[in-house]
Amino acid sequence: MTAATTPEDSTLLLHAYLDGELDPANALAIERRMALDPVLAAEYKRVEALQRLVRERLPHETPSSGLRAQIEASVGMKQPRAQPSWRALAASIVVTAMVASGATWIVNGPEAQDVIGDAVVAGHIRSLMASQPVDVISSDQHTVKPWFNGRIPEAPRVVDLAKQEFPLVGGRLDVVGRKPVPTLVYRYRKHLISLTAVPAAGFAASAPALRTTDGYNMLRWAENGVAYWAISDLSAGDLGGFAQLFRSATPEGSNGGSGEKPGTMPSMRN
Amino acid sequence: MTVMSMLVDHPVSSKKDRSGDHLRIIYDQAPRQDDNADMMKGDNDSVRFGNVVLPHLGDAYTLARWITGNRADAEDVVQDACLRAFRSIRNFSDGSARAWVLTIVRHTAYTWLRKNRPTVLVGVEDIESVEHAQAVLASPDAETPETALIAKTDAARLEAAISALPAPFRETLVLRDVQGLDYREIAAVTGVPIGTVMSRLARGRTRLIANIGRKEP
Repeated sequence: MTAATTPEDSTLLLHAYLDGELDPANALAIERRMALDPVLAAEYKRVEALQRLVRERLPHETPSSGLRAQIEASVGMKQPRAQPSWRALAASIVVTAMVASGATWIVNGPEAQDVIGDAVVAGHIRSLMASQPVDVISSDQHTVKPWFNGRIPEAPRVVDLAKQEFPLVGGRLDVVGRKPVPTLVYRYRKHLISLTAVPAAGFAASAPALRTTDGYNMLRWAENGVAYWAISDLSAGDLGGFAQLFRSATPEGSNGGSGEKPGTMPSMRN
Repeated sequence: MTVMSMLVDHPVSSKKDRSGDHLRIIYDQAPRQDDNADMMKGDNDSVRFGNVVLPHLGDAYTLARWITGNRADAEDVVQDACLRAFRSIRNFSDGSARAWVLTIVRHTAYTWLRKNRPTVLVGVEDIESVEHAQAVLASPDAETPETALIAKTDAARLEAAISALPAPFRETLVLRDVQGLDYREIAAVTGVPIGTVMSRLARGRTRLIANIGRKEP
């Protein structure tokens, strides 16, 4: 039995239920009440629609890049520029950006790559065992990318490959070296591809290199200070095709105006 | 100092990489270890600031943006808030860094508004008392749009509808639905009991749905 008997109590519980804040007893109680009360059930639908609307349609705004620099300067994070050579300046931006973003300094050595590779495999396997392989479900890159903002310092590059038969499924956070890193999930026919983006600022770009672990094909490549790890049960050839498409695609869908605007998949919340 | 520790931690990187020379330039400019103690303390604070505060800059900005209502003011607030956070960085112990940062941002935002935009800010207490006098579900049949209509709302209208919410409802809704904090964190950031968070959320969302359903002016 719960103490919630007035309509107002039911409303509060309803919202808490949608927010996943209720204990099982109260959750059960509100479910029962909704089953009996169409007004309450309708309100549930409205609030759920509202939450989805806010989550998916509200544009995510980020502060200007100048703000971060100003703040770093004001707290003395930047070194005084005695002789502002452009090289030092460029380096200081790279370095402070890394420090600021809290990005892991990933060593490029072979052991480190094994560690990262293991974490990527574990993340992929775990995602396949979970009820859904992603934390944010959407085929729309403009939904997935903002989702990462606010959760990790740098949102990953997200591209739309739906036309090339690799629709975006969504994104999730994996943990590599105790740091949260973004993983995008793409689909090819029935196969899922996890693409994990590990910060690797300052490391030279490298072409995709194949390795096989536990029956999964993995491709690793680096560009623009990010090491990408693609893992899937796809054949090495198909995975290579994916890597090539991802690398050559332009982000922020320059294919504007086409009728095939990617729609968002329905929420899987039960 | 940060750079130094990075190089020390990861000596491999500086040798292998092209960026190695860039790093060394900074390294040479960095204060030496035998510099005075004040300098060291200051550096530690900077490192801590970089770890605790900077990762949440996006969240800080989002909250400031929704409290102040515009970007320029939000950036001013975030800058103020970061200075405050930096000054009290040693007070941060364990717990959620994000909640800690957002608490400071929220406080700074209202202080800033009181000082610079006194007309924007209506007293929080006033709203609460007005709201208290009204029944929450006063008219369930009036202006409650269908689910389909909610889903079709465009970004601009949604933004306007959220902006139109009174501050206590707006901040609670933003912290929950935009920023994804749980009730306990919201209670900590806004300094009210969880029960108040719950009622503000319920009332804020109900109002927001009504705002969305209201006919275009």
